[in-house]
Amino acid sequence: MKPIHSIIIVLIIILSGCNRNNENNINEKASVSALDALPENPLLLSPITFSINPNKATMSTLYGNKIAFQHAKIKADSSYPNGAVLYEVTWKQKADSLWYGANIPDKIISVEKIQFTGNTAPKYELYAGHPLKKVSSNDENKRTTIILSKGMVETP
Amino acid sequence: MKKGLKIFAILLLVFIALQFWKPEEIEYSTPTKDFTNVPAEVNTILRNSCFDCHSNTVNLAWFDKITPANFIVASHIKDGRKALNFSDWDKLEKPKQSATLYYAFNKILSGEMPLKSYTALHPSAKLEDSSVEVLKNYLTTIAVRKTNPAIPSIAAPKGIEKILPNKKITDYTKVKATLNNISYIPDFRNWKAVSTSDRFDNGSMRIIYGNEIAVKAIAEHQTNPWPDGAIFAKTAWKQKIEADGTISAGAFIQVEFMIKDAKKYEATKGWGWARWKGNDLKPYGDNANFDQECISCHNPVKNNDYVFTTPLHLDINKFNIYNKNK
Ligand code: HEC
Ligand code: HEC
Repeated sequence: MKPIHSIIIVLIIILSGCNRNNENNINEKASVSALDALPENPLLLSPITFSINPNKATMSTLYGNKIAFQHAKIKADSSYPNGAVLYEVTWKQKADSLWYGANIPDKIISVEKIQFTGNTAPKYELYAGHPLKKVSSNDENKRTTIILSKGMVETP
Repeated sequence: MKKGLKIFAILLLVFIALQFWKPEEIEYSTPTKDFTNVPAEVNTILRNSCFDCHSNTVNLAWFDKITPANFIVASHIKDGRKALNFSDWDKLEKPKQSATLYYAFNKILSGEMPLKSYTALHPSAKLEDSSVEVLKNYLTTIAVRKTNPAIPSIAAPKGIEKILPNKKITDYTKVKATLNNISYIPDFRNWKAVSTSDRFDNGSMRIIYGNEIAVKAIAEHQTNPWPDGAIFAKTAWKQKIEADGTISAGAFIQVEFMIKDAKKYEATKGWGWARWKGNDLKPYGDNANFDQECISCHNPVKNNDYVFTTPLHLDINKFNIYNKNK
């Protein structure tokens, strides 16, 4: 065998071996990255409910920290206790390449944070852009009301 | 030379003799009427590419009738009909018809159907790109949720679909196990969401939860294969259209689990498969082999350890690096 042939064969084996290791299929694009200027990673909190906006082709999941999640479990109202933190994460949708008939999360387009501190009104923050960073919002009150009206999605 | 001829003659005789040995006669051809409520061109495509194995109307080529080919053909037809028989179309309820067509279409997209061994000999059954497009356009019209859903004229009173607290199951040990012996896992609501899915085909929406082991595997990029102990819970709710055109999660439909244990569940591709339906969490399946249905549909993603979902990256450490550097 000519040496060039052995080199090619070895290269093919190495390359296909590398491919195998990368077959982990993680939806990196839809995840929070280290560059996003968020106070914490909301995707690690507990999902309370989720929604879809078909006209904008977006999908959102409402996450809560432990205090918020415990509250949502027992009460379907917006009177979250002190210390509760909610995050509404909104993704652009994409077609699921493995199932015609499904849409799944693509890029995160916004993260909204609502924090309950003491007796004052809950604090609203909006993060948008790529990477995500804090921006000002002009419908803070409307968004707060909408997000707080979402109850826990029910399972038996 | 003469010897060669002799061998040839013997082989020919054997071959002819073989022709008397035929597979058990199956009902080869009774006409199937056109699908009700399905456009003619869709009908033609399915007839042309799928009916030989998935209907009672079979158009065999001459070479399909020769032994031993006929044995292979007969077994394809038998198995094919068992999995899906388009001649029974009218017996299906409408939602089931749509689900069947979506399932069939996804089997075409994944390249599993029509069987490759069949299209190699019957090239006319191969689907042209234009036929795939025709099917896709038709499916879009039968999706339970259209791209721009009609907004209900009267907004449903809030909370009407909520389960009353007293209907909520309090003692999960009373939930029956599935027939393949998997017990209900009640605490998935405390797991992390690894993804969500908007199923416009059947008007449902899903959260796919992963347990701690699954989440750790994601963080460590050890997801193919998934480690033993990893569990997914996929919960489906009905899509409920709100007054402003957005969609929220309505009534609970079902929860399904995939439990990884390469040894214990070796016979079912390394996963334990289970589903509980409705607010009374009725275990799904008529017999212990109901999980074959799950595996058949998950088969196109077998190189991905039978998992469809591409999970969100849930790496805690990666994120903390940012916070520390801030
Ligand atoms: C040569 C025979 C043959 C042809 C042609 C064929 N199939 Fe199949 N099909 C089978 C067999 C055999 C099975 C069952 C075993 C399997 O899954 O491989 C099957 C299974 C299926 C299943 C169900 C899988 C399950 O077990 O639940 C679907 C859906 C399907 N086929 C769709 C199609 C469609 C759509 C076409 C036409 C585009 C088609 N098939 C053409 C032989 C065929
Ligand atoms: C007709 C096709 C089909 C059948 C049958 C099916 N599944 Fe799935 N399953 C899917 C698809 C598609 C997904 C991807 C998520 C989504 O879009 O719903 C999925 C996802 C899942 C997941 C989340 C992990 C993953 O693979 O993405 C679980 C758990 C699951 N299915 C369990 C089951 C069980 C248990 C059964 C049988 C009782 C079953 N499935 C039968 C199509 C199917």
